[in-house]
Amino acid sequence: MTTRAEFFARIRGELRKKPALFAASTAARPEHPAAQADAIRRELAERWPETLEAFRLEFERVAGVFHRVASLDDVAPTIDRIARERGARELVSWHAASVAGDGLSRALTARGLGVQEMPAGEAADGAERARLRAITARADLGLTGVDLAVAETGTLVLVSGAGRPRSTSLLPPCHIALFDRAALVESLPQVGVFLEAWHGDGAPPADGAVVNFITGPSRTADIELTLTRGVHGPKEVHAIFVDGGLRG
Amino acid sequence: MVDIARRAGARMAVKSKSMATEEIDLNEALEREGITPVETDLGEYIIQLAHERPSHIIAPAIHKTKGQVAELFSRELKRPVEADPEELTRIARAELRQKFLQADIGITGANFAVADTGTVVLVTNEGNGRMVTSLPRVHVAVMGAEKVVPSMTDLMVFLAILAKSATGQKLSVYTTLVRGPRRAGELEGPEEFHLVLLDSGRIAQLGGPLREALSCLRCGACLNVCPVYRQIGGHAYGHTYPGPIGILLTAMLEGTGSVKELAHASSLCGACADACPVRIDIPKMLIELRREVDDQKIAPWIERVTFKLLAQVLVRPALYRLAARVGRVLQRPFARGGTISRLPLFLDDWTRTRDLPPVASRTFQERWAAEREAAP
Repeated sequence: MTTRAEFFARIRGELRKKPALFAASTAARPEHPAAQADAIRRELAERWPETLEAFRLEFERVAGVFHRVASLDDVAPTIDRIARERGARELVSWHAASVAGDGLSRALTARGLGVQEMPAGEAADGAERARLRAITARADLGLTGVDLAVAETGTLVLVSGAGRPRSTSLLPPCHIALFDRAALVESLPQVGVFLEAWHGDGAPPADGAVVNFITGPSRTADIELTLTRGVHGPKEVHAIFVDGGLRG
Repeated sequence: MVDIARRAGARMAVKSKSMATEEIDLNEALEREGITPVETDLGEYIIQLAHERPSHIIAPAIHKTKGQVAELFSRELKRPVEADPEELTRIARAELRQKFLQADIGITGANFAVADTGTVVLVTNEGNGRMVTSLPRVHVAVMGAEKVVPSMTDLMVFLAILAKSATGQKLSVYTTLVRGPRRAGELEGPEEFHLVLLDSGRIAQLGGPLREALSCLRCGACLNVCPVYRQIGGHAYGHTYPGPIGILLTAMLEGTGSVKELAHASSLCGACADACPVRIDIPKMLIELRREVDDQKIAPWIERVTFKLLAQVLVRPALYRLAARVGRVLQRPFARGGTISRLPLFLDDWTRTRDLPPVASRTFQERWAAEREAAP
């Protein structure tokens, strides 16, 4: 173990030996990331149908299953169909405020699914936390919202936080993510701008401990380079796009 | 690390794939303290059951057949197991899921860290990186000190490069940006987060001859194209990091003396430099290493003297011609079927593992002279 001062002193000492070597330039950072993120949103509002189509292509290429529905009312029937086809009954969900509001859980329960919504904040105690984890580990389906959907790579970006536990998109064998045009971005560099903006901001979703990029179902090729899905994370990832928007 | 684990009262540690912890023999250190380390990357899990070391940076169990994996699993589970990758993966999922939920401490490497935001970045395809950083009470990341990039903008560039070169994907399935322990209001996540920065020779190379090797992303592209690696496999290198880049990293971490033979385990064909996404000139540095091995008198004296003499001969055409003629006579008792596979005296050691082409009955110089004579 060395102290922080010793550690940096050693690096500085080495750098001084050959100063000319370290002229390397880094990528230009956005100066006002929050303003730039807003600009990206405004530009994309014009051409979201193309961005959505590009996302669908890439998402399906990484073995995601894409659904598109007209309004929030059509979401529960779609999830019900996904559940029925898999003989799945138990669903865990992010807190309603981070998905699509209160109506969805009620609609799913009415269709006979067992729905466990995650609390809006911390669990009261360790026992409650353990109970929720056990339910999540048993569940067939995990329902979440999406912070960014990246067309270039077919990636879903999910930020953890209050009411949005990370295990919902991780432990159940089937992950269903709900999004609308507000989440669409075109490229990884645009994601970079949003990450910078969130860092400067500190308001949700920027306040979570972990940002997860999810690009299709869990996979491995560790045994004889044979592609196999669902090794630790979900075997299936569904994305449901709501034309009418998630906020009605 | 052992201190952190001990303070957390850990009995079991789940690990996602990390070459850095291989480098410091962390598993052995934990075991000595009575803490069971469980590798959770499927490939690493397999080689841990086999009590072996990774043979490839990206696919650590690439040297195992599905039959061998099935045998390992059935020994572990004490029941017969079918040799089918799908079935084997399903079994590993069930086995390791229990470990994720039970473990007290999660240990990971780190693919990158972002200086601006204090973020540690993990890339996996299986999702074990997410499990290890989400479920246990304590998360410890072990990272080579060279993995820091300035900003999120830079990170986006490197994520795409790493995925493309490592596995041909546009992006790996899971990229996890860890910004610290569980925040207020969050239901889950570790209560403690530790980041261990690893120097072991890295910082000394910032101004050193191997500094370019510090840019390595550990994508494994140079291994896949290397004719030597493809012939001998990862274990033959005998150190944590195999392949062409592995020779440079071994020299960096363990000193030039540790690669006195490995520095020559390359045909200098340059395929690695072409495949490298961050343009590390591996062949150039291998030549540099060979020079160092010679300068620092690490190579055996007989080898150094022989090469010095050879160098004198090679720069003097008259001497070279004479040597070729002498060699043609001297080789007679040893050349069999177009090769020399055995030489006497101190050269015996050298030919024990190598064949030498004999001096041609007519050398190129002789033929060239004759052609010139005959031409009008």
